[in-house]
Amino acid sequence: MLTRCSHLALSSLLVAAVVLSGCAKRPATLQAAAPAPTGAASTTAATPPPSAPSQPMQSGPTTSAPTPTPSTARPVVKDFAAIAELADVFFDFDKYDIRPTDAKTLDANANWLKSNPNHLVLIEGHCDERGTNEYNLALGERRAKSTMNYLVSQGVQANRITIISYGEERPQCTEHNEACWAKNRRAHFLVKPR
Amino acid sequence: MCVRKPLAVVAILLAVVMQWAGPSAPRAQAPEQKTTVIIDILGTPGKKINIAVPEFTVVSGTDSAGAAKLLASVTGSDLTFSGLFSVVAGTGAIPPNNPVMLAQSWQEFAAAGAHAGLHGLLAVRSDRLEGEMRLYDLTTPEHRLIATKKFETPIAQPRRLAHKIADEVVLQFTGEPGIADTKLAYVAGPRGAKEIVMADYDGIGLAPVTHNGSINLTPVWSPDARSLAYTSYKQGYPDLYRVFPFERRPEQTLAAFVGINSSPAFSPDGKSLALTLSMHGNPEIYVLTLATGTIRRLTRNAGIDTEPTWAPSGRQLAFISDRNGAPAVYVMDAEGTSVRQLTAGGFHTQPRWSPKGDSLVYTARQGVHDLWIVNVDGSNPRKLTGGEADSQGATWAPNGRHLAFQSNRNGHWQIFAMLADGSAPEAVTRGPGDSTSPSWSPRLP
Repeated sequence: MLTRCSHLALSSLLVAAVVLSGCAKRPATLQAAAPAPTGAASTTAATPPPSAPSQPMQSGPTTSAPTPTPSTARPVVKDFAAIAELADVFFDFDKYDIRPTDAKTLDANANWLKSNPNHLVLIEGHCDERGTNEYNLALGERRAKSTMNYLVSQGVQANRITIISYGEERPQCTEHNEACWAKNRRAHFLVKPR
Repeated sequence: MCVRKPLAVVAILLAVVMQWAGPSAPRAQAPEQKTTVIIDILGTPGKKINIAVPEFTVVSGTDSAGAAKLLASVTGSDLTFSGLFSVVAGTGAIPPNNPVMLAQSWQEFAAAGAHAGLHGLLAVRSDRLEGEMRLYDLTTPEHRLIATKKFETPIAQPRRLAHKIADEVVLQFTGEPGIADTKLAYVAGPRGAKEIVMADYDGIGLAPVTHNGSINLTPVWSPDARSLAYTSYKQGYPDLYRVFPFERRPEQTLAAFVGINSSPAFSPDGKSLALTLSMHGNPEIYVLTLATGTIRRLTRNAGIDTEPTWAPSGRQLAFISDRNGAPAVYVMDAEGTSVRQLTAGGFHTQPRWSPKGDSLVYTARQGVHDLWIVNVDGSNPRKLTGGEADSQGATWAPNGRHLAFQSNRNGHWQIFAMLADGSAPEAVTRGPGDSTSPSWSPRLP
């Protein structure tokens, strides 16, 4: 019985090692020009599988799994804060290209970021309430990404930038009309010191 | 006691089911044409079986909570919801062990047009309820007993007992159990503060699944109805988790890669999860093998690829992509090859493959959102909902006869259910808050 237990413990460690090495390889931010990997057909997933050696029973159904999660490899979202110097940019309905007027805003944002190189930036992509959730999650990411790409093209280092999509989940205006929707189709900027 | 031994129940059930299985099935002792009468009613479009569901008869214990009345009422509602039955009203309970009164009661119901009679027997124990279903064919002079079966639930779950009985009645008439003993999981709350909740299929018995104060999205049941996968921002980013709402078992993190981790869909065998990840630059569809943690990439395209849904065979998936313009529904095999476009000419999202495998429901945007259904070969797309409000996010009942979805037709988002042909829509959630993104569970274990 003892042998069996130590066997289990050992395989737990092995699983954890695989997980940790998996985390370490993951980039902390999306690189602006990173091509999609075309090599390996499979990757080790984020966490040990459900049938991994049994984990200690915890107090409730919403307790997090006790193993380290790769989110530690990403900057902590709540450490970022909005600042007045970085203005939002806005998008046309179902679009994610940067409009000429917004390019000027982004130029200013890029200048601020370049003169404040000790700050990391989090770009949030948002959508209006029209459309369905999953599609808007993807669209919001495209908006954040095209915003990031523009900043990189203006000389902001890609490794300072993290993007996140909220889809239609965090509108800044909750009325159901075009004026409100236009305000919600945006990329929003938050920063934190390195 | 008037309840039968379980062995006898099995024998009778088997006989009835086999009788309906086809001409080659062995004959049971009951005359064949009697069940044929009932089948004929179901075979006629628009015709329903008129079923009498009198108050259940208490055969043991004290029914201080009024379960006998509740059971008849809930069973009747379940049978009405099925779309197969029309419940014939009656008053009063049939006294226990009184064949004369029972026969007289059935005679009255038959005179009022009932084709079938459901007599429920209830034994109230200290910790549990025992219910017996006795189903009678009222089109025969002798009120032939069609089937009988016993169920039990904890004392606090009379509604579940009713759901099980109703599902058995549907089984007896259609060869497939009903869907009353199922749950709906959905998202409750306004944008920015969405939590996952679940309720019985009829909206009763609301219970929280998550309570993390973050944004929680798109719950999806596993095929064993024991767990839900969902997207949550609780660690800051949109990551995928799996929660076991009926067990004291820790939640699992399924995917927490850079970018989007969303749109979970368990494979029919429950061993894999299709999902959307954008870690390689844009949203692509992957399959996570749950036992090994291995992920396999299925799509490789510069467009958005998301919302995978499995064919019941597990050999194909449908998904949406905007690779050719507006998002449309595509189908591929489970290896990611043989991709074909199923729908075109619109803005189509949220495909869900039907449990029978022959069709897919999806959401089309033309000003507002409406639900459409299309044959699996892409033919005969037809609209299921209409009007000035949105109807979207459909989920199939496990028998493929019903759909639940979200609609704002009453001014805020509610979960609705309807028959799969778009008829008989009715609100499932009734509170003032928003309810969105339903997932209909498989039949509960």
